[in-house]
Amino acid sequence: MDAQLLLSGIIFGLSIGSIFFLMAIGLSLCFGLMRVISLDQLLYYSIGGYLTYTVSVGTGSVWLGVLAGLVVAGITAFAVERFVFRRIYDRDVAFSMITTFGILIGGVGVIKAIWGLVPRPVAMPAGDQVDILGTFVPGYRLIVIVVAILVYVAIWLFLNRTIVGKAIRAGIEDVDHVEGLGINVYRLFTITFIIAGTLSGLAGGLHAPLIMVDPSMGLEVIALVFMVVIIGGLGSIKGTAVSALLVGQVMSLGSLIYAPLAQMAPFAIMLLILLIKPTGLYGSPLLKR
Amino acid sequence: MFEAFKWWRGLLIAFGLLALMRVVVPLPFANEVVIFSIYTIGCSFLLGRVGFISFGQPAYLAIGAYGTGFYLFYFGTNPFVGLLVGIAAGFVAAAIVGPLFVRLRSDYFALVNLALAVIVFYLMQKVLADVTKGDNGLWFLTNIASTPVLDISRPDQFFIFATLVAFFVWAFYKYLDDTLFGACCLATKINEDKLQFLGYSNFKVRLLAFVIANTTTALAGGLYAVYLGFVSPDMTSPARAADPVIVTILGGAGTLYGPLVGTIAYTGMKDVISKLIGNWELFIGFLLVFIMLAGEKGIVGTIEPWLKRIVSRRKAGSRQA
Repeated sequence: MDAQLLLSGIIFGLSIGSIFFLMAIGLSLCFGLMRVISLDQLLYYSIGGYLTYTVSVGTGSVWLGVLAGLVVAGITAFAVERFVFRRIYDRDVAFSMITTFGILIGGVGVIKAIWGLVPRPVAMPAGDQVDILGTFVPGYRLIVIVVAILVYVAIWLFLNRTIVGKAIRAGIEDVDHVEGLGINVYRLFTITFIIAGTLSGLAGGLHAPLIMVDPSMGLEVIALVFMVVIIGGLGSIKGTAVSALLVGQVMSLGSLIYAPLAQMAPFAIMLLILLIKPTGLYGSPLLKR
Repeated sequence: MFEAFKWWRGLLIAFGLLALMRVVVPLPFANEVVIFSIYTIGCSFLLGRVGFISFGQPAYLAIGAYGTGFYLFYFGTNPFVGLLVGIAAGFVAAAIVGPLFVRLRSDYFALVNLALAVIVFYLMQKVLADVTKGDNGLWFLTNIASTPVLDISRPDQFFIFATLVAFFVWAFYKYLDDTLFGACCLATKINEDKLQFLGYSNFKVRLLAFVIANTTTALAGGLYAVYLGFVSPDMTSPARAADPVIVTILGGAGTLYGPLVGTIAYTGMKDVISKLIGNWELFIGFLLVFIMLAGEKGIVGTIEPWLKRIVSRRKAGSRQA
């Protein structure tokens, strides 16, 4: 295959991987710290997408829409944490999985009631093509990649340089000891959950111009996002980033070779990795509880 | 004799009521309920008895359905043989993936199964499109021959057959509960270390449970294929992966009649609510959250103790008199 196709394939894969990374990082943090599998992150993703649509139609600016999307997603996440998660932290993982799935499909029902069933297109901001090594790639995809890199750096700084971030990292290792030090872990949980929800909202907002927003957009990516988290290892930020890149490239380059591979190859890889290393690439046995 | 009757009594009442339901509700609804409840009991057994939550049940359903479908489309015409082929396909598939899957922890297990469902979906839709006819599906309703005793190509006779099958499936699961194996399943859910200590292999118990549950699921798939007269990849679409889990939770995970009650409630609600407000996900979703927060017992899990209390009070009353 020629170099131009390959390069645009790689850029495409990177941008898809960036979206997956933004979504998966929330799931990964939630599992690492609170030991819950929060399927409702996919709901915040849909909320982000839909608000981007509404605000961009109203004001003409997609960026304003993305901002509104992530703020509302964060607020919704806060409410859900308050009313539902507080009651299920001490239950086992499968329990949170089923409960949050209920929240997800309930939320999809709300979205259907508000916005209807018809898929809505979102205008592409920064629609210019950018010339890289003689290949023209859509500028918007490059912006998505840059945003994901900025988020990764910001999360890394937050977790390694601030006291709250350090407490969260300590909580991932051993939450009981953190509580023993006199830190209010439930406040940490709330902060983590809001960060996770906000990032999912951001992912939805950024993804909206690339696809059409429709009520089941969360359900469509659910399996892929999960796979990113699982391949990387639950609870590891670095692992999530690596596996998001991997999955993005496998999807994009795989579809260049043989179209059905785009959907299937990542799952085959996940099966393979799990069977060889049941904790994922960077997941440590420490996470077993 | 009386003891034996006592053992069968609950089953007879439950399926007697199910057969009575046939008079009240439309036939397609009754058929859907019977097949879906067989589909769900495998999931319920895995979740409630063995502690495995699986979001991949559609994979096994589709394997059973396609097993039956291939036989009826390409090779033969006898629906009973088709069903057996479907069951065999499900058994083989479960026996192959089982040893790999049951080693995993419950949360990973759910996701690996989901991955399998997606793989089966794309296999059937794209990769094997030459054989499976892709999204169009296989249509073989006219291929199904009428059989002399129970003509299951006709929906009304199919209901009788499916109910009989369901009855024996339930009897089998009730029997499992009484055996040592049933106790081992429960033990591996509650405390795997202790089970190991008692000299049983967690792996073997889980593997056997996994194969049994998913063979049952494949049976439901075969029944769907015969009843609808076609199979399509839509059956295993990832968007429907959670249906059996929802029904299981709704009915009460691990209870014997949970899948039956849950299916009736779920299918009924889907029918009624989608007519009323056209937005049944909203309702089902929040109902699920409510049930989980209220103590995850489900309908049967809530009613059962209450029923038992009434029965025991009546017994006590009759003794006094």
